[in-house]
Amino acid sequence: MEKNRTPVIEVRDVRRTFRSPKKGDGWKGALGLLLRPEFQTTEALKGVSFTIEPGAFIGLIGANGAGKTTLLKILSGLIPPTSGEARVLGYEPFRRPMDFRRRIALVMGQKAQLWWDLPAIDAFDLLRAIYEIPPAVYRERLHTLAELLDVERHLRTQIRRLSLGERMKMELIGALIHWPGVVFLDEPTIGLDVLAAHKLREFLRVFNQREKATILLTSHNMDDIERLCSRVLILREGELIYDGTPRGLTRSGECRLKVRLMHVPAIEELARIAGVAQDAVEIRQKEDEDGAGAQFVYFTIQRRQIVPVLQALMSSGQIIEMGIEEQSLESVIQRLYGAEAAGAARPVAPG
Amino acid sequence: MIKTAWRLAALKNGFQDAIAYRIEFLFEILGAAFVPAAIQWVLWYALFRIGGAERVAGMTYGDMVQYTLTSLLFTQIRGGDNDFELAEMVRSGQLSNYLLRPVGVVEFVYIRGVAPKLMLAGICLLLGSGVGLFFGLSPLRMAAGMLLALVGNVIHYQVGAALATTAFLWEESYAVLMVKNLIVSLLSGELIPLNLFPASLQWIWKSTPFYLYVFGPTQVALGRWSCATFAGHLAIACAWMLFGWMLIRVTWGMGIKRYSSIGG
Repeated sequence: MEKNRTPVIEVRDVRRTFRSPKKGDGWKGALGLLLRPEFQTTEALKGVSFTIEPGAFIGLIGANGAGKTTLLKILSGLIPPTSGEARVLGYEPFRRPMDFRRRIALVMGQKAQLWWDLPAIDAFDLLRAIYEIPPAVYRERLHTLAELLDVERHLRTQIRRLSLGERMKMELIGALIHWPGVVFLDEPTIGLDVLAAHKLREFLRVFNQREKATILLTSHNMDDIERLCSRVLILREGELIYDGTPRGLTRSGECRLKVRLMHVPAIEELARIAGVAQDAVEIRQKEDEDGAGAQFVYFTIQRRQIVPVLQALMSSGQIIEMGIEEQSLESVIQRLYGAEAAGAARPVAPG
Repeated sequence: MIKTAWRLAALKNGFQDAIAYRIEFLFEILGAAFVPAAIQWVLWYALFRIGGAERVAGMTYGDMVQYTLTSLLFTQIRGGDNDFELAEMVRSGQLSNYLLRPVGVVEFVYIRGVAPKLMLAGICLLLGSGVGLFFGLSPLRMAAGMLLALVGNVIHYQVGAALATTAFLWEESYAVLMVKNLIVSLLSGELIPLNLFPASLQWIWKSTPFYLYVFGPTQVALGRWSCATFAGHLAIACAWMLFGWMLIRVTWGMGIKRYSSIGG
């Protein structure tokens, strides 16, 4: 039987701006805000477009303020886009029809969504009534989720008395007890220790595979992305700069050649000597083994290019030190963020 | 079809929440009961005992004390701080948790919040009927008064919930709700019987729904309103409730469009 490949999430040229009052320093600023408030407009999303197939596990990454959470809020229906169109499960999210609400879930790692003073089991019981889950189905789901997350013994403890990790697990159970078809997760492993993060990650993997739920995950933890996501979307300053597989991001066979030269010419000259594109060359100031500052040149090249590049460099100058670094997803992202900070964007073409 | 399951579950949840903080709950009751009572007692003592008055607005010292004691029962029911909770949810972005659930957020917050008030209404009704019997007051009238007080509780929340939408516009919506509560304290009859207002100013409290919270129920319970008058005021209360429902739909409909769901 042919699988249904109609996208569950469709985003077309979505833009979102926020207008907020700008306050100056001290008393003058406070008075100014009262008498003549000035406003600043921030463009959080700048024409983002993509589609997501059913059952996909997608990683949404970007530096702070890149627009990840804004995008999740638009997709879950909390805020509307300023322009453009978003559709989730065929619905316009901001209209928030009841059927749409029953089929999605949003988990924000930094925001408690369950009732703080109640034991988790009471909160889940209330959710059972809200989502009209038949008691037998509810019991089975709760047992499955609690077992997968290993929190059965904490179900009767007040939420506020649980550790951060246990609380996050309860938040996940609360978000998934109605078996949503689409789950938005905003940094679910934030603040968790290695073990708890691993357990949560494993749970999400199983839930995605077993229930075929579509999951969109934002995380600063590249482990989360590498281990769970088959596809990655990267946002930078509100723009989608990459849409493809994590492997495509690290580019197979690509590595970073690190070289310390006696004399460091300009990037244009280095690229010409090595016979590579200018955007494959980067100069960084780092500490050497003695702790003194030194300039290192990084070449992002294919493995087969290592020898020719080194030969070219040796023919035109003296190499003091060299090394090869593997391309981890984390290092790629760091470079992307670094390029942003340096204002030297090197966007990866959407795949 | 009205779905009762989640409403009952929310009510049960609200009871559990109130019980989780039982000391705070107890102090709230005591505060709500004894502060207005103390103010009234000082006032009546000054007027009748020190000032030597025999009747004020047709009421004797005994009538005033009777009003004070009976109004205590209804002051407990008059409404909680759920409107403040709504405003804070809008301000902090916590509203997002509720917007994605398949229930109406304003109704949900009310049902959870009204649970302890319902518990109190039951206790006050039993207490009022028991003590009232001793003083010759009808338990049926006490129940009618409690019914009006409960309708007043709904109206109080509706007004507060509509005003809480100012939080979509300003961060300082607390001030609006505080002013509303001060006006309610004066015009609900929890501080003074409203017939103490000069005749030329009676229209003020009559043109708001606040008198239905405490003054109205007290008048019914003490037998100072006839059955026909009670029925008339109950109809007025229902009209206010309908207006409140429409007001919430309009204000929340407009407010939600401005919601920015701050925090991430």
